[in-house]
Amino acid sequence: MRHDMQSPRRMIESSFMDAGADGSAQVDKELIAALGKIVGDGGLVSRLSELKVYECDGWTIEKSAPDLIVMPRSTEQTSAVLRTLWDRGIAFVPRGAGTGLSGGALPVNAPVMICTSRMNRIIAVDSADRRAVVESGVVNLRVSDAAREHGLFYAPDPSSQQACTIGGNIAENSGGPHTLKYGVTTNHVLGITLVLPDGEIVELGGAAEELCGYDLVGAVVGAEGTVGIVTRAILRLIRTPQAHRTFLVTFEDVESATRAVSAIIASGIVPGAIEMMDQLIVHAVEDAFHVGLPASAGAVLIVELDGLAAALDDQARTIAAIARGAGATEVRLAASDAERGALWKARKRAFGAVGRLAPNYATQDGVVPRTRLPDILRVINEVSGKYQLAIGNVFHAGDGNIHPIILYDERIPEQVRGAIDAGREILAACVAMGGSLTGEHGIGVEKQGEMPLLFSPGDLIAMAELRHVFDPAERSNPNKIIPSAGSCVEVAAPHRQVPI
Amino acid sequence: MTISTEIAHRVESLIGRDRVRAPSGRETRAAQLIAEPETQEEIGEIVRMCEANRSSIVAIGSARTLGAIRRAPADLGISLARMTRVIAYEPADMTVAVQAGITIGELNAVTSPSGQRVALDPLNPGLATIGATIAAHHAGPLRLSEGTARDLLIGIGFVGHDGRAVRGGGRVVKNVAGYDLMKVMGGSFGTLGIITEAVLKLRPVPAVYAIATKECTSASDAFADAAALNDAAPLAHLEVTSPAPSEAIGLAPKFTLLAGISGTATEIEYLRETVAKTLGAACQFHARDSADQLYARLRDLESFEGLVAQVATPPSALAAFLIEGGVEFRAHAGCGVAQLYSRELSPERQLETAKIMRLRARACDGYLRVLRADPEIAGEMDFFDTPSSGALTLMRRMKGAFDPNGIFNPGCFVDGI
Repeated sequence: MRHDMQSPRRMIESSFMDAGADGSAQVDKELIAALGKIVGDGGLVSRLSELKVYECDGWTIEKSAPDLIVMPRSTEQTSAVLRTLWDRGIAFVPRGAGTGLSGGALPVNAPVMICTSRMNRIIAVDSADRRAVVESGVVNLRVSDAAREHGLFYAPDPSSQQACTIGGNIAENSGGPHTLKYGVTTNHVLGITLVLPDGEIVELGGAAEELCGYDLVGAVVGAEGTVGIVTRAILRLIRTPQAHRTFLVTFEDVESATRAVSAIIASGIVPGAIEMMDQLIVHAVEDAFHVGLPASAGAVLIVELDGLAAALDDQARTIAAIARGAGATEVRLAASDAERGALWKARKRAFGAVGRLAPNYATQDGVVPRTRLPDILRVINEVSGKYQLAIGNVFHAGDGNIHPIILYDERIPEQVRGAIDAGREILAACVAMGGSLTGEHGIGVEKQGEMPLLFSPGDLIAMAELRHVFDPAERSNPNKIIPSAGSCVEVAAPHRQVPI
Repeated sequence: MTISTEIAHRVESLIGRDRVRAPSGRETRAAQLIAEPETQEEIGEIVRMCEANRSSIVAIGSARTLGAIRRAPADLGISLARMTRVIAYEPADMTVAVQAGITIGELNAVTSPSGQRVALDPLNPGLATIGATIAAHHAGPLRLSEGTARDLLIGIGFVGHDGRAVRGGGRVVKNVAGYDLMKVMGGSFGTLGIITEAVLKLRPVPAVYAIATKECTSASDAFADAAALNDAAPLAHLEVTSPAPSEAIGLAPKFTLLAGISGTATEIEYLRETVAKTLGAACQFHARDSADQLYARLRDLESFEGLVAQVATPPSALAAFLIEGGVEFRAHAGCGVAQLYSRELSPERQLETAKIMRLRARACDGYLRVLRADPEIAGEMDFFDTPSSGALTLMRRMKGAFDPNGIFNPGCFVDGI
């Protein structure tokens, strides 16, 4: 049921907003000069042609370039920049690498963008404590690269990990295929340096595992940049597993593949990852990359076990037996690291391959309880028939995190409309099955309108109150996550067209 | 001091006379009157009544934690003894939704036939409610391999100010919709509302569990072995106990290393070899019942007389802290967390000891929380460490936002929040 969000929001806003400081004051020459003094001229972008590059993140439907981009090099510079903006009543939007998929880094009533890309130092890798201390602009994959020589790695591995930043991961509480076993970003962040919207620098959490007071680190992770700017983080590192066994399992249809997923989960074995691709995606990937996926498959699973080498062969036999019991027609074990690499490459590039199937596509990010995977895939199939649009599925099956890809042609208005409605229908079905609107992409601007499907007005008010603890004037990434009169955008075109 | 009979009457009129009672045992230090509501709505009404009267209210669990840290009993204690239902359990999803009054022991009895458990093992899980485990961030030896409530909690329901029922998270294992209210409530010690529901990830019960012990001549030997072992193999848990706790769990009164291993029979075989190779001939293995019993004694190690505290430091700093500390301890060696038992009985000396240990913890980037002291000095003891001033300001704002009338367990959290 949809709730009317306007009245409670007005209530909150009237009690929290500073009079006359709605964050929308203008960028002028004097401000540019003041910020240039802090970050140096090389740290500012103000030319229109360059600003255009930053007009959207991975959610490309809405576009809005900032008036000015500031790229601080340190926590202190970030603080001075935010203080300057605060004094002038100007709101800002934080940005990492811009790989987000829900419009988290889209400026909405925020004239200034703060990019963390120049804060990109790995400060320390501590093998004794299994911690890394990094600046927030560090690219995800670099952390694992730096930890490798110590036999450690950083577990959250979004498909964009070659580009996305730790700061962005913290904002979105990012996941990845291996979160099935290792958890998402929030499970791996112990401490952060946060610059509040008024420029104050606060140290939250630390290298110790216990809490000292409220879990403010936990509140900041996943807040989608609405509580200030994280400039530094203490990350937990994990011991690299001794060995892997990676399977490609072929099924005649999606139903038997999902049965296998449930049976694997129920067996008590916790694989590192269980990923699914349906026929449409298998064909697209095979046509594009020729990695040897079985063209006749109705669905394939990539199942990866990791852990003690001594135990993996036993577990592998169990997995193979479960898969065959669920109707697998072929269970193929990657014979080498190269073969394993090829399988993962195929999986992570699946979205690129989809581009060959239709002029446009829209991806959703819903979650269902794992036992409901067959049901939600049936719904997706029905929705596909109802709107006469092909829908492919490539997703994190072990977590119940689906990514239906709706194919359409933007030149045909009814297809555009259909793709939007189909996406919404699928998400509503996820929620009705006890699931969620997003497993790893965030709400951003994309799904604000759907939040009332999942949360009551009271829940949303409590969330807004939490945000206001950090940012009472809503200067940091305004108009995100929580629907409000000012931010409810009627989406006129379907969702994103980029890889996850 | 007693709560006014008028308030007692009001609570009785809200939920019925048979569900309002006087506190007993440990509860007497936690609250002056105990109400046993059956629904969130009833709790909501009680909260509104308390706000109108400016009466303090707190969920008491088994009153073990609150009984130790409250300076004076709250006006009203909420017992969730009648809210212990399993709301939803689908074994193949490996998640469970429960009312917060259920104990970990009761919940595991429900899930164990499916080979699953809630992998939280605080002191005496038969007494520890899910609500209290979340609110007080209780954890035990398994935190090394399974994490804490912070990692396993995927959904929460609580009653906050104005009696509103709030939900965060959901019932699926992966979910980033909305702000993380699970983290807000976790470790908040009842100061932001009353946790009524929780959704948890479950984990498989390992097929085989065994425990290796090694008597060591010194604490530093024990920690050196522990560090080597933690690097050599993935362990279920890893403790070092000083002589008195070692004796209390049925071992010789020596510094002792205890390493739990779990997995399939093949994994255990490999782990056993690795542990034996790392620790040398002096290590001893306990299997089956004897392993389970030793683990239970280690987990349920009751505090000794005197001052009990918990220190958390970066893992590599813990050994030095404990070796120089001169107090008895149970250390979760891989996690940098330890319980400290100072058998000092004089209240004044307890205050002094706590102060000194806290300074030492801070010196190595750690925190110290006092778990129990002589009740006589409860009013003077700082049970919680104080965070940085910036963080503290945010915490005060958090308290103000979620509890504007200051009724939820006031005065006994960080810096008097």
